[in-house]
Amino acid sequence: MLFPRHTASDMRPDRPVIVDSHLHVDHVPALGWSLEAAECIRRMDEAGIAKGIVMSIVDAPEVNPGALELVAEACAAFPGRLEAYARIHPWYGDDAVALLERAITELGFKGLKLHPVTTIAHPAGEDTLRLIRAAAAHAAPTLFHCGDEPLTTPLAIARAAAACPEATIVLGHMGGYFHVDEAIAVAERHENLLLETSAMPFPAKIREAVGRLGPERVLYGSDGPACSPLLEVEKVRLAALDPLAEELVLGGNAQRMLEAVV
Amino acid sequence: MIVDSLTFLGVSLFGRRASAPELIAAMDELGVDRAVVCPLKPADYRLEAANDTVADAVRAHRTRLVGFARVDPWLGEGAVAEIERALTLGLRGLFLHPWEETFCVAAPVVDPVLEAAQRHRLPVIVASGYPWLSEGLQVADLARRFPDVTIVATNGAQINISGLGQLDAELALTSCPNLHIQTTGVYREDFLEGVASRLGGERVLFASGFPFFDPRLELRRVQWAPGFAAEAREQILGGNAARLLLH
Repeated sequence: MLFPRHTASDMRPDRPVIVDSHLHVDHVPALGWSLEAAECIRRMDEAGIAKGIVMSIVDAPEVNPGALELVAEACAAFPGRLEAYARIHPWYGDDAVALLERAITELGFKGLKLHPVTTIAHPAGEDTLRLIRAAAAHAAPTLFHCGDEPLTTPLAIARAAAACPEATIVLGHMGGYFHVDEAIAVAERHENLLLETSAMPFPAKIREAVGRLGPERVLYGSDGPACSPLLEVEKVRLAALDPLAEELVLGGNAQRMLEAVV
Repeated sequence: MIVDSLTFLGVSLFGRRASAPELIAAMDELGVDRAVVCPLKPADYRLEAANDTVADAVRAHRTRLVGFARVDPWLGEGAVAEIERALTLGLRGLFLHPWEETFCVAAPVVDPVLEAAQRHRLPVIVASGYPWLSEGLQVADLARRFPDVTIVATNGAQINISGLGQLDAELALTSCPNLHIQTTGVYREDFLEGVASRLGGERVLFASGFPFFDPRLELRRVQWAPGFAAEAREQILGGNAARLLLH
C-alpha cells in the first residue's frame, strides 16, 4: 500500500500523543495558497495527530488586519483540536503589542509567530524584542521561521535569545537546509532556544539534536497542511529516538508549553 | 519499476562516504530496481579517480547502476577530455555541481561541457537551487541555450524553506521543455504535485540523494504525496528516469 492511513492502533492509549507545533491556515491568492482548517484536521487525522497549533501566513495588522480573527475562527470550528499562535508584524509598535495582548488574553492564543522574511524585521531589533518579551510575560513561546534567508538564520535569532533569556524561543525548521548545524550549535549556547523539525529534510539531524540538547528541547512540527504531517511524523520516527524521547518530541514538549501559558 | 535518479559513491571532501555495497543494500531495503550514480567530490579534488570508482561500481552491478561522470567546467578542455574518457569507461551522462565546484551554471565557462553533452547526446544532472550559482532561472538559462540537451535539476530546482524559490522554478520549467526536476528534499510536496498537474508528470523524477539525504524519507515523499495521479506517480518513481537517463 503506497499511501497508509492511520489505523485504530495508531490511536491506542499507549501510543504517544502527537502535537503538531507548526500548521497554517490562511488564504493568500497572490501565492495561490489556500490553507483551510478542515484540511489541517484531515491531514492531522491521517497522521494520528491529536492537536495542532495553527498560525496565519501573513501578519497582523498588515497585510491582513483580520489575521488573528481568521485563526481564532479556525480554532473555534474544531474545539480541542487546534490551538493558535499570533503572527504579528513588529513594525507596528504599541499596536503590535496590543494585538498580542488581545490574542493571548481574549482570544486564547498560546504563542507568537514571527517570520522575518515577510516583515523585514531583524530578530534582535527592538520592536521584535518588545513583542518577544510581551509573549514571555505570559509564558508564551515565540516561534521564528528559521531557515537560510537573511534575518532568519540561527545566529540572528540567537541574538534575540541572548537579549531575552526569560523567553522561550523556537527555531522553526531548525535552520532549514544549510543552517541545521548552526541551529543545534546556538541552541547549545542558549538554553532558552528549542528546535522545531518541520520540513528540514534530515532525520539524522533530529537524532543529533536530541542527543546534544536533550529530548525536552526538540519539537515536532509539520508546516502543514501543505507539507505532509504524515511524512513529517515519519521523519521523526526515522530518527530512531528512544521511546521516551520520541514521546517528548512528538507531543510531550508541545503539550507542556501549551499548558504553561497564563 | 523504481529508479532512483540520483545517488552518490565515494568519499566526500565534505565528510560523507558511500560504497557500492552500501548503495545496493539501501536500494534493496526499499525495493529500488535501478539507480543513477555519481561521484562524491573527492578529498583529493581529483574527479578522474572518482569517475573511475563509479565506473568500477557500474561494472560490478551492471543491472542495477548507471554511472554519470562528474567534471569541473573550470578545467576547460580538460573537462571535455574527461568526458571523452568517461564515455570509454561506460559512463552515460554528466553530473555538474555548481556549489561544490563553485561556478555559475549560467556562465559561459559551462559551454564546452554542454557542447560535449550535446555532441554525445548525454543527459546532464545539475545540482540546483544553490544560491547565486544554480537557482531555478539560472538553470533555465542553461537549458534555454542548449535546448537539445536533457537537463535534470536536483532538489526541485529550488532550495528554500519559505517556498521563495518555487515561482522561479516553475517559470524555469514552463519556459524550457528540456528541463526536469528531481524530488529530493523538496519544500513542499504540493509544489511537486502542482508541477506534475500543470506541466505533466513526465517533468518530475524521484531521487534519493543518497547518502546526503535519507532514502527512506525521500521515497515516502513521492509514494505518500496525496496529489499525484496514479499514472504520474509511476512515471515519477521510475518511468521518467528510465526514459531520460538509462538509455
